[in-house]
Amino acid sequence: MAQVVLQDIVKSYGSLYAVNHVSLTVDDGEFVALVGPSGCGKTTTLNLVAGLLPMTDGDIVIGDRIVTDLDPKDRDIAMVFQNYALYPNKTVYKNLAFPLQMRKLPKDEIDQKVRAAAKVLDIVPLLERRPRELSGGQQQRVALGRALVRDPRVFLMDEPLSNLDAKLRVQMRTEIKRFHQDLNATIIYVTHDQLEAVTMADKMAVMNKGFLQQYDTPKNVFDNPVNTFVASFIGSPAMSLVPLEVVQRGDQAVLTNEAGWELPLSAMNTRKALKATTNKVVLGARHSTIKLHKSETVGAVPARVYTVEPTGDITFVQAFVGEAVVIVSLDPTVIVRPDEDVWLEFDQERMHLFDGETTMALSAA
Amino acid sequence: MTTTATYERPRVRKPIDWWRWAGRGFITFIMLFATLPMLWMILTSVKTQFAAMQYPPQWWPAEPTLNSYIKLLNPNDQIGQDFLRYFGNSFYVSFLTTVLGVVVAVPAAYAFSRFRFPGRTFLFFSVLVRNMFPAVVFLVPLFILMRWLGLVNTHGSLVLTYLTFGLPLSIWLLKGFYDNIPIQLEQAARIDGATRFQAFLLIVMPLSSPGIIATSIFSFIGAWNEYIYAYTFLSRDDQMTLPVGIQRFFTEFATDWPGLMAATFLMSVPVVVMFLVLQKYFVQALTEGAVKH
Repeated sequence: MAQVVLQDIVKSYGSLYAVNHVSLTVDDGEFVALVGPSGCGKTTTLNLVAGLLPMTDGDIVIGDRIVTDLDPKDRDIAMVFQNYALYPNKTVYKNLAFPLQMRKLPKDEIDQKVRAAAKVLDIVPLLERRPRELSGGQQQRVALGRALVRDPRVFLMDEPLSNLDAKLRVQMRTEIKRFHQDLNATIIYVTHDQLEAVTMADKMAVMNKGFLQQYDTPKNVFDNPVNTFVASFIGSPAMSLVPLEVVQRGDQAVLTNEAGWELPLSAMNTRKALKATTNKVVLGARHSTIKLHKSETVGAVPARVYTVEPTGDITFVQAFVGEAVVIVSLDPTVIVRPDEDVWLEFDQERMHLFDGETTMALSAA
Repeated sequence: MTTTATYERPRVRKPIDWWRWAGRGFITFIMLFATLPMLWMILTSVKTQFAAMQYPPQWWPAEPTLNSYIKLLNPNDQIGQDFLRYFGNSFYVSFLTTVLGVVVAVPAAYAFSRFRFPGRTFLFFSVLVRNMFPAVVFLVPLFILMRWLGLVNTHGSLVLTYLTFGLPLSIWLLKGFYDNIPIQLEQAARIDGATRFQAFLLIVMPLSSPGIIATSIFSFIGAWNEYIYAYTFLSRDDQMTLPVGIQRFFTEFATDWPGLMAATFLMSVPVVVMFLVLQKYFVQALTEGAVKH
């Protein structure tokens, strides 16, 4: 296994930048998820690491070698594709043996390695079948097997679970995580599903429009999103974002909107809010940090209920604060109705403030 | 209390579906239309010259004989010598056309399918422009061109011409096959240790074999049957291909109907055999190489 370093990599098609000066380091044995909406450049980044696309600029280092100009076959990587890309005219055995044959290993060694990999993934009875005779989950295992049979330095995975049904996806998620722990493998994993990234990865790289937005542990990304994009992309349901204006009252800042209400800020949030480049700020809050009151309360802002979604142990309420939708979670015993007037109290310790112009998170320091 | 009701399926007498019967009648007619001449060809080829010319016609040969075939396939006989030479010429030209066609069409189709290069669409459609004109239109210009190239009275002139006419369809057909093979298969192969060319050779080629077989059949039959260009470009007797050569039989031995029919029958044999043999692989390849989309 090896470390992977992306140094300022760029992939452009004319004036369109699919990957725009991305730098990040994947440590040896680390599981890194590239996550973002479709078209954000995550798959392109993975293909650049694999060497399947020519890079416009930058360098990629795997282990102690600069691989920028090497063919995919010389990079000592393995890849699992979204559609598995199993060779349809070869049996499972031959699919697993192919990477070893290409490396001209002796026949008995190939046999031994194929059988070992098949055993790990529990696909021994399938070895003589062809890919089309397998279920989606079995094909997925064979694809994993073909990747691990060679003991590569890095595993690249391109949305490997998105073609599976929901139940199987959860099961395979556990298996891939287990696979990572057992092999101590370096894995770069592309997904558009932030839940997969949060649950499996040691670190996640959030991308949007070709730019790397934030690269950190899932917990840090979740707790301290660097901008409104990351805030709204990570977490389910998403963080609610309310564009507001900041006004200074003495040494305290207050947030207001067109409706005329005022929300006084704590000392720390005042320091943050006053750092904004203009008087526009965005208040961000996760559903669990907002308290819903059914009557007017000091420090709470008025809102109107839009929809109520019971999920069993939690009820989600969507309410309008001005033009913005805020999602609040409630105990299911509390009854609220659509179009009811409510008051929302934001936890000052756990709320986020973003610059209304630059969309970047505001910090107190 | 529960009772088990028994339901009776209402018996409705289906009206006779006249359209269905009309369709069957039509298919039978087409079938006879296609097969009766062939049957007549085979029947005539085993008749004696006298029986072939009888009127009213002798429907079924009273004294079947293989004389015509023996004569055509006997290398010591003058007719047999000519026929076998024509047969060899035809096979040589058709085989060369087919092999060169595949050699050119496979990389061309692959490039059109996989690579994005300036002028790609224009080139692809300009390849197809040839098919918008009937072949005869090019007869005179091509003859002048061949004469200028010094290729008149060579088999090369025919191979080049047949390639020109056959390639557009081959490229178009093969491109469809390559379009349907997911690019991830090649990418996987390249990551698994194959060069780009190995990925093509070991993974893509086997999957596109139905397409290659189909285009081979098309170009072989096209070259095998072609008449007008062979007739125009070749004048030396020892170079003639079968369609033209048979024409010569027809004039020289105008009355030898059994001989002509036997020659025609022998000419159709390679095409039929090729179709029967390759069809097996064709179907096999289609089902085994099935790519999941």
